[in-house]
Amino acid sequence: MEVHEQLEALFRDVFDDENLALSDETTARDIPKWDSLAHINLMFSIEQAFGVRFKGNELAEMKNIGELKQFLVSKGRG
Amino acid sequence: MAERFIARVSDSAALMTRADELRKSGKVGDAIPLYLEALSDPPQAALCLKLARSYEELGNISEACRWALAVVDAEDDFTSWQAAARLVQRFPLEARPKQRIAKVALLGSYTTTQLGQMLSLAASRRGIRIEVQESQYGQYEQDIIDPNSRLYAFDPDFVVLAVHEGDLRLPEYSSAPQESIGVEVARWTALWRTVRERSRARVVQHNFAVPCDVPAGHLAARLPGSRYMMAQAVNARLGEEAGSAVSIVDCDRLSSFVGKARWFDPRFWHLAKQAVALEVVPMLARHTAAVIGADLGLSRKCLVLDLDNTLWGGVIAEDGLAGIKLGDGVDGEAFVAFQEYILKLKQKGVILAVCSKNNHGDAMLPFEKHPEMRLKRDDFAVFVANWEPKPQNIRRIAQELGIGMDALVFVDDNPVEREAMRQFAPEVEVVPIPEDPSYYLRALSQCLSFETSSYTQEDAARAEQYRARAKIRELESAAGSIEEFYQSLHMQAIVAPFDAVNLPRIAQLIGKTNQFNLTTKRHGIPQLESFVKDPRCIHLYLRLRDRFADHGLVALIIALQEGTVLDIDTWLMSCRVIGRTVEATIMEQVCRRAQELGCTSLRGTYIPSEKNAMAEEAYAKVGFDLAGRVDGQVTWTYDLLAKGPIVNRFVETVDAWEVKDGGA
Repeated sequence: MEVHEQLEALFRDVFDDENLALSDETTARDIPKWDSLAHINLMFSIEQAFGVRFKGNELAEMKNIGELKQFLVSKGRG
Repeated sequence: MAERFIARVSDSAALMTRADELRKSGKVGDAIPLYLEALSDPPQAALCLKLARSYEELGNISEACRWALAVVDAEDDFTSWQAAARLVQRFPLEARPKQRIAKVALLGSYTTTQLGQMLSLAASRRGIRIEVQESQYGQYEQDIIDPNSRLYAFDPDFVVLAVHEGDLRLPEYSSAPQESIGVEVARWTALWRTVRERSRARVVQHNFAVPCDVPAGHLAARLPGSRYMMAQAVNARLGEEAGSAVSIVDCDRLSSFVGKARWFDPRFWHLAKQAVALEVVPMLARHTAAVIGADLGLSRKCLVLDLDNTLWGGVIAEDGLAGIKLGDGVDGEAFVAFQEYILKLKQKGVILAVCSKNNHGDAMLPFEKHPEMRLKRDDFAVFVANWEPKPQNIRRIAQELGIGMDALVFVDDNPVEREAMRQFAPEVEVVPIPEDPSYYLRALSQCLSFETSSYTQEDAARAEQYRARAKIRELESAAGSIEEFYQSLHMQAIVAPFDAVNLPRIAQLIGKTNQFNLTTKRHGIPQLESFVKDPRCIHLYLRLRDRFADHGLVALIIALQEGTVLDIDTWLMSCRVIGRTVEATIMEQVCRRAQELGCTSLRGTYIPSEKNAMAEEAYAKVGFDLAGRVDGQVTWTYDLLAKGPIVNRFVETVDAWEVKDGGA
């Protein structure tokens, strides 16, 4: 599966929304349920699903999809 | 834990993909059988979720709920747990299985939102529907100390103190460690006391997972004044102070079990004040739910064991005594270790039973002749070896022991038997045993259903009592008339008012007795203490012994005087002494005390519940007359003036146990 599709599936799980669609421009502001608590859950779920590990400050700042995808590709997960 | 999974991984992935495609094209009904076929043992969490969602799409909410809850048994996978928790929340209450209800106040020193959600899910799996109230971040002391806080307005059944080591007020080094420890322990015990004084809640304390980043290094382990040693001392002291009044979740052990490097993830602490790494929150939730379950009396009582390849390696009927693996070699030693662990469970009060597909003679052979057997025939209350289906045999075992199917835990190396049990006897808990016997012990030790809230003499003697019961069943069929049978038991009872020593056992009995329980009122210890102080209240417990065993504290009654009428608020009896005329003995003492209070009649009420149909005629059997029925509730009355006290000639009431010769 493409990293985009995989991420989208994960977002659907985490936000419990089967119709959620992602684009590279999507950010936390575009998804109403993406608050600070959901962000922590999301980042942890991404780590588990893709077998990657964010640095502490990356955990805090990774709030748009394009960046996330770049990060995953750079770790060889894309 | 990879070793827990059984094969089929490769084709299960293919099946899942195919099923996903079917579901996408709208054929949910066709996808489900493929998902089911892809299941491993224990089930994969992601697959449980897919099944839950598929059933939800089909509108079969009760199956959807069952599969969402199965995630708890599957893996401690945070993402799946979150999704499952949300699914279950969404389902209407009536679709969920019948559950005990409990209000839980979650008071934390760190961010506990995720723990709260997962605690609800884990509790739901244990048959408890909990309503969680979370304290404001880090406000646990304020909430407890302020009598007008939300905490007390919520009126919780449980107060869970979810706290972490960073919150301990201990210096990195103390020159007066005993004093430092004492002050910190006193802070916690004062909080416990305040909760108990101001509410009916039971405190569940998370103890402190001690971190491994220790500046003094190995030296810290011999410096009583190091924070490292003081934190461990606080844990030990809190355990001593807790006694039977407070429950502890041993977080230090849990963090050691998974590894401290996993338990503590500093990134999440710095970012979001998560003191417990998210990946272990499901485990912490499971254990906290198990402790709450034990406090509610939901522990399981009996471990049902297969024999071949479960207690020894190989098949006794084929390999013979000399051929089975037991004692020698890696597997042989593993089976011995497993047996020894089971023996320890028995010593703490778990009843053991055998359920094996074997000829009875073959099954008995190792017990009679093999020198390395740690478990003996007498360790088992019931021994069933035949060729009937196991779900059928396990029903028989439950009946013979007089306990519910929901009190059983089943261990079998054969995944087919485990699956049969899940399908045909879903109330039974099935332990997912791995293929390698070296890991049997660990799999069993991770089964949390044998958690108990207190350790009473009754618990220690229970296995003996159940074995005695099975013997009595034999005697019953041999004895002539039922009167002769009762006489032959030489039953004696002590009937006395509640006292402090027996209160924990009384509360335990009130919490867990479902069948012979006339009103199913779950009074907690504070309520019981107020009964004891009330001069208009008659409160009696009954201990029973016979020539086979001391059955311990098995029945109790609480009644309140209303003028000349004595109204019975609570009357219950442990199932293991049903059919022994004990009912009449406790009533005999109630009658005598009612007369002393000047009462002329007794009034009893039967409130039907899911499980107490067996007690419907209890009042009729001891001589009460039907007085009325309203909304299923039945009222009974006993005219003390006209009929005189109830008498039971089969049980001798004594003040204390006399020493008898030739008991069992």
